[in-house]
Amino acid sequence: MRRWRAWLLNRFVVVPVVLALIVLGWNIYVSLHAHGVIAGEVVDASGRPVAGATVTLYHLNFITEVKTGETRTNGQGRFRFTDNNSHLIELQAAAGGATSPRVTVRLWFRAQDRDLASPLTLHGLAPAS
Amino acid sequence: MIRGRRSVVLLRHLVLVLLSAAMLVPFYWVLKTSITDENIFAYPPHLLPTDPNLFSYVDVWYLIPFPRFLWNSVVVSLLAIAGNLVLNALAGYALTRNFPGQRFATLLLLSCMMIPFQATIIPAYLITAKLGLLNSYLGLALPLLSTIICIFVFKASFEAVPRSLVEAARIDGLGDLRILWRVMLPLSRAAIGTNVILAFTWSWNNFLWPLIITRTVSMQTLPLGLANFLSYMENTTSALYAFVVMVLAPGIAVFLMAQKEFIRGLTSGAAKG
Repeated sequence: MRRWRAWLLNRFVVVPVVLALIVLGWNIYVSLHAHGVIAGEVVDASGRPVAGATVTLYHLNFITEVKTGETRTNGQGRFRFTDNNSHLIELQAAAGGATSPRVTVRLWFRAQDRDLASPLTLHGLAPAS
Repeated sequence: MIRGRRSVVLLRHLVLVLLSAAMLVPFYWVLKTSITDENIFAYPPHLLPTDPNLFSYVDVWYLIPFPRFLWNSVVVSLLAIAGNLVLNALAGYALTRNFPGQRFATLLLLSCMMIPFQATIIPAYLITAKLGLLNSYLGLALPLLSTIICIFVFKASFEAVPRSLVEAARIDGLGDLRILWRVMLPLSRAAIGTNVILAFTWSWNNFLWPLIITRTVSMQTLPLGLANFLSYMENTTSALYAFVVMVLAPGIAVFLMAQKEFIRGLTSGAAKG
């Protein structure tokens, strides 16, 4: 018993076991939060939601960017992608000839679910009458 | 008198601290750049990280086949460590025994240490090819399965074991293999630690041999992946440095875990006589 304890409670066993537990915990967290959902809101310069705006999703690489999805905002100016499988993306909204600046979103892991904290703002959009 | 001695000690420690800090500056710079999105050409450079984040590590993990490179390096290192422990312990023990040609064998091994690996790389490649081990894990680990320095580390450690212990074991009826397993190795933990660290470090950092015998990206190890990354990426200093940290971290962790045994293993037998 004492011998087994000495074998198990030394740094060559404890450190790898702790690391393995951290990796396991992280992977469980990832599997519970990786559904590829990216949600957010599109607003005009005055901060009002824009319905029917087109939002484009790009996947970034170190040297390339590829358009991978497009969706439209609903009546509340909300949009939602459900099939993002990248960790490094860009979003851009467009409506009525106006476009928002591209917003880079960096995720902690592939397909991480994220609700954007700040909306995409369309500049130069004529105010709705 | 005591005060004078104390100030000398203090001064010595101060110099050592400054020297250590100077040694650590490049590591600090790599670590700092890896957690910021700072370009290497940014002017003025910042001493402290501004807006630190770990996203460069995420980029490296996903945008290059890092997990594959890591797996390959781990498998090759484990093979090298296992080979070193078994083969070097056997060879080291053999060199402590008296047999005809023992001195010649020792001198032969010592003289082989003078030949650089680059000089023997073509025959090594041809032998590996004949064995059908090109582009395989065993082929990657083959030249590092036994190293002469580590044989001598074991030999020095075994020679430090009292002869009376070995004789007693022999009287009890143990053969050579069991003496090695039951008597020598339990008393040579420092030599085992040294072997593990050296085998791991050499195989982990090995670049030339994997470059020559791998044929596919899926068999490449971390140093090759790093070289590839360097060759086609620009303006990604933070990701490059994150890659460097991820390559270095396992080696540093293994060294920190086994440094006590490592130092004891290298110095065992050094003060004899």
